[in-house]
Amino acid sequence: MSNDAAQGKRIPYIRLRNIKKSFGHVIALDGVDLDVYPGEVMALVGDNGAGKSTLIKIISGVLNPDEGELSLNGKTFKHMTPSRAIELGISTVYQDLALVDCLDVASNIFLGREPLKACFFVDKKRMNRESEELLRRLKVSIPSVITPVEFLSGGQRQGVAVARSIKLQGRMIIFDEPTAAMGVSESARVLELIRSLGDEGFAVLVISHNLHHVFTIADCICVIRSGRLVKDFRTENTNPDQVVGFITGSNRYTEEYTEESITT
Amino acid sequence: MNRTKIKLLLGNIFPQLLLILVMLIMVIFLSVASPFFLTWDNFRNVFDHSSLYIILALGMTFVISSGGVDLSVGAVAALSGVCMAVAMQNGLGVGTSILIGLAAGGLVGAANGSIISLFKINPFIVTLGFMSLARGLALIITGGIPIYGFPRAFTWWGSGHIGPLNPPMLLAAFMAALAALVLNMSRFGYYTLALGGNEEALRRSGVSIHLYKIMVYLLCGVTAALGGLIVTARLNTAEPLAGWMLEMDSIAAVVLGGTSMKGGRGSIAGTLIACLLLGILRNGLVILSIPAYYQQLLIGMIILSAVIFAEVRSRKGLASTHKKERSTAV
Amino acid sequence: MKEKMKRMLAFMLLFSLVAFAAGCGSPASPPASGEKTGTGAAEEVKEDDDEVEKTAAGPAMNSKAQEIEQVLMDQLAPLPEFNTGEKIGVLIITLANPFWVAMKEGYEKAGAELGIEVAVMAAPTEGDTKSQLETLDAMVARDYAAIVASPIEPFNLVPGVVRANKKGIKVINLGPPISKEALKEAGGWLDGRITVDYEEQGAMAAEYIVEKLGPAGGKVAIIQGIPGAGQSEGRTAGAKKVFEAAENVEIVSIQPGNWDRNTAYNIASNILQAHPDIRAIFCCNDVMALAAADALEAAGKREGVIIFGVDFISEAHEAIKEGKLDGSIAYSIRVYSKAALILALKTVQGHAIPDEVFSPLALVSKENVAEFEGWE
Repeated sequence: MSNDAAQGKRIPYIRLRNIKKSFGHVIALDGVDLDVYPGEVMALVGDNGAGKSTLIKIISGVLNPDEGELSLNGKTFKHMTPSRAIELGISTVYQDLALVDCLDVASNIFLGREPLKACFFVDKKRMNRESEELLRRLKVSIPSVITPVEFLSGGQRQGVAVARSIKLQGRMIIFDEPTAAMGVSESARVLELIRSLGDEGFAVLVISHNLHHVFTIADCICVIRSGRLVKDFRTENTNPDQVVGFITGSNRYTEEYTEESITT
Repeated sequence: MNRTKIKLLLGNIFPQLLLILVMLIMVIFLSVASPFFLTWDNFRNVFDHSSLYIILALGMTFVISSGGVDLSVGAVAALSGVCMAVAMQNGLGVGTSILIGLAAGGLVGAANGSIISLFKINPFIVTLGFMSLARGLALIITGGIPIYGFPRAFTWWGSGHIGPLNPPMLLAAFMAALAALVLNMSRFGYYTLALGGNEEALRRSGVSIHLYKIMVYLLCGVTAALGGLIVTARLNTAEPLAGWMLEMDSIAAVVLGGTSMKGGRGSIAGTLIACLLLGILRNGLVILSIPAYYQQLLIGMIILSAVIFAEVRSRKGLASTHKKERSTAV
Repeated sequence: MKEKMKRMLAFMLLFSLVAFAAGCGSPASPPASGEKTGTGAAEEVKEDDDEVEKTAAGPAMNSKAQEIEQVLMDQLAPLPEFNTGEKIGVLIITLANPFWVAMKEGYEKAGAELGIEVAVMAAPTEGDTKSQLETLDAMVARDYAAIVASPIEPFNLVPGVVRANKKGIKVINLGPPISKEALKEAGGWLDGRITVDYEEQGAMAAEYIVEKLGPAGGKVAIIQGIPGAGQSEGRTAGAKKVFEAAENVEIVSIQPGNWDRNTAYNIASNILQAHPDIRAIFCCNDVMALAAADALEAAGKREGVIIFGVDFISEAHEAIKEGKLDGSIAYSIRVYSKAALILALKTVQGHAIPDEVFSPLALVSKENVAEFEGWE
């Protein structure tokens, strides 16, 4: 965990400035600024339709913003593309997990980055070996790396998806509802995995509706409401009730109160 | 770990083992029922006839594994044959003419793939369009009249001899081996299956799905053109109406072989066995002097039971599907 | 447990299928035996007896049929030995066309009459040239003494015929020609050919049409079969020659109907659309002529247009009687198929036969249709 002083010196992995996006008449994002730091788990919370998904789609290059810019590694971009995002180390573990059910675990982890031998054949042995190593490091337990993904449980699939993100040279990993519809022990394992990624130095951005989960893993929490970033907290300086207040926008006084409490 | 491996492997090849079993039963039955069935000459017939279906079905296996379908292969076979014939008529060499024919097939395939991928249109509709288009082109080029009479170097591809075998059989065997290597062991093969399994996942892995989709259909176009080469060379005639219903025959063989119409699962060995099985069936019915009507009936029944069988088997994975639903629900 | 049961169910499905295949294959099962002349012979001979009775008491037409048969038999003399039980394979074009179904019946009856074993095979559809060759190849693998073959187009059966030649199986070509040049090039030959003079068929029909149109003439159209097919090209050429020679007769359209009812129907309505003053349509077979008649009927323009077909299938016979069709060119299927089998027997028994035998023709129109009662 970092403290405020350290945060000041660190360089954000990605910096978003004044991101705007609308779909027809609906304004999804209305000038969002966001910094995500390496070694830190940031949670993005907000009500349905607040703009969370739109924001991560812009970061991962699936959508183009109407206005604003993204900067990474000292370079500034008007928009991303999926392949540029991957090149720059941003990978997203989506709700639908984007795994190929019919392929086995190792093939999924290496999808798009298969090692070759003799310039033609996929090096299956190397893929299996490296996948096993990686999954062991992430403490994900699966029956075998040659099991087709369709036979895995939700938590195992999540683990495979994370392993793939790391294999894609991901330095920043985005999770979209990682624990949705998952059992208690399964969620706990996934949360542990996410926390460990932050500790390993990855920049982690998590979208979740489950505040309990958010408070378990996040270093900081950003609240989005109606396309605006209304608040960001250090986790240790807030509590779930306060966050809910900002998500729903019910209490203006809460805002003043917290601002005061943070600055002091 | 090892037990998992063995279980997985057995699960994967089970449908093919069953096909082989059915084929063996058919062979035994036909050998008992007719003294003319189990002769080398007749088996040579079966291999010879199956070779065309095998070559077309190989390309079709890739397309269907990728979650698509190609209805244009029969027409493309005719068009390529006609292109080869016209090239030879105009004094081009046999090799060049064959290349022109293959290029024509590849071109139609690439066009199929491009439109399907870039405009995101259902492959059924696009390839249906190209089926009509290719057939029309073949009719226009020939004026509706078959082109006849080619050099021996060309007809060799259909009716030559290589030891006890002939070029179509060897071409089919070579192509099958190549296809098995590509589908199971190359990046192209992995991506073909991934396209059928989850196209979006592949796209998000930074792979150009346009490129691979186009390549899948291009490959299918080239195998269709190879089929055209065999038909044209064997009959020593380039007919604009050649390859009639060949698309249906090859789709049937691919599905019978255990490749899933939903995509994501493909078996070259299965396709090969299915083609031989259908070849033996067609041959056997003629040997037994059973009229053509029953051929169609039986082939239809076999395909239906294969599809039902595959569906029943895939229900086994129901439990894991439930888990998947749980984890993906919002 | 449940999964196991499902697997069992699947197994059973497949095995029952194989069992079905076996059932179909066994000569003892009803569908197969019905197709085999050997086992069904007794029944069919009885049918023949009935006809002999009919013949004795029948109207004048029988003398006409007998006359045609006699003409052909004279051509074929000396006759070979019958009731020798030889196996003869017949490869026709398709059983999806009534003409070929009638031919199949003709062959089987003639086989019973001549005391030989006949098996008739066909391609699945009229356009499937490759399957037809494959069927021939499989037939060559059997023990036939001779094969009578009618190809879909001149070249598709050539490799199969060469294989039959090598195995010593005699090959008689009936109807549409197998290209002799292509055969020669491939090192094969035909042992005999029996056919109908297609040009003559077209010419006969066209002459009738020209006569009916009278000196005023008018617009005529031709609906062909599959372009490039022998019957189609021959009939078209014959009709074209007569039409072109006739004064005031103008050919406004020659379209390929691919022997297909639906295609012909559409073509006929299109022709009518383009030329409302059309006076006659000659179609290269009856199926297409019937479709053309339907199309004109539907447009309310059947009156005053002469529609002629070829083959004289039974549906056409009815249609001519009803006045729906103006006429057709007939050749006795019974005589035609019988002659082919006799030719085959002759070559098997070592007789010399002429290079080409023509089956005699008859023009049927509403004027003389009564004489064709019971024609086959």
